[in-house]
Amino acid sequence: MPPQKCRAKLADKIQLNPKFVQYFFEWVEPVSVIFHAGQYISMQVSDRGERRPYSICSAPENTHGFELLVDISPQGVGSRYLESLAFGQEVSVLGPLGVFTIYDGSEEAGLTFVATGAGIAPFRSMILDQLQTKDGSREISLYWGLREAEHLFWEADFAELADSFPNFHFHPTLSRAPIEWPLCKGRVTDCLTVHSLLPAAGYYLCGNQEMVKEVAELLQTKGVVSNRIHHENFY
Amino acid sequence: MPDQITSTPVVQTKIIGRYKVEVIRDKCIGAASCVAIAPKIFEMDEENIAIVLSQDGEEDDIKLLAAQSCPTAAVIVTDTETGKQVWPPEF
Repeated sequence: MPPQKCRAKLADKIQLNPKFVQYFFEWVEPVSVIFHAGQYISMQVSDRGERRPYSICSAPENTHGFELLVDISPQGVGSRYLESLAFGQEVSVLGPLGVFTIYDGSEEAGLTFVATGAGIAPFRSMILDQLQTKDGSREISLYWGLREAEHLFWEADFAELADSFPNFHFHPTLSRAPIEWPLCKGRVTDCLTVHSLLPAAGYYLCGNQEMVKEVAELLQTKGVVSNRIHHENFY
Repeated sequence: MPDQITSTPVVQTKIIGRYKVEVIRDKCIGAASCVAIAPKIFEMDEENIAIVLSQDGEEDDIKLLAAQSCPTAAVIVTDTETGKQVWPPEF
């Protein structure tokens, strides 16, 4: 089945901090698009025709729009295009695309998500879907690595989810943590090294290639078989 | 007796379009956007680098979209009729 060519318009945006922006789009044509949590869209970001992939960070329950999380710090062609958009301006999108998803009926006894930076985007969609829509009872853990405390965002939302759903556990990890930081310090691999892990869980990794490689190697030394390790590289 | 009728065998010609795609291996970072958009044309090899499976199976516009979706412009599209590079645009 060929990818679906769609149009959407910018409905809102939130500057989460100097590094990350959350964009809200509404579908224009078609007016409703079904996607699976973890999928992404390919957006045309220049008149020349260049496209960039962006993971959908919103829950699939909303079929009338989608949200993106963008690290604007590289100031590449994609982030500059998104920053230039006016409210209501239409964009050309291909999608939904990708197979980095959790399938219903999975035999994975739990779900462990490991992200760095903007790699949190598909996991937000998956976690909201699992907890709020699918009402799953499996243990769900989120390890999220960032450099500085000021780069954090959505942490209050995830903490609230952890309060509301006892099966959800949130582990933000800072590599340059302030002295008073009470949680995991260092890289996500450091945090995973000291935590006990469930070998029968599914492990979903999203972030830079180095992190994905290191975590996959660590998981295998902890007895997780390779077909339970799924990953998506972010660039 | 009627003259013998000789029939010409029908040749099924598969139209594959004008565009030919090529992956610059050193530029591919394994994002797999091309595979997601044109899975009949591209696949990832064991080193997670995109390779061309076939020039058949997708329309030219899908081949072009797949190339335009590559974040490192590792997919080259050439118009076989004109010999000109369609993507990335040459300056």
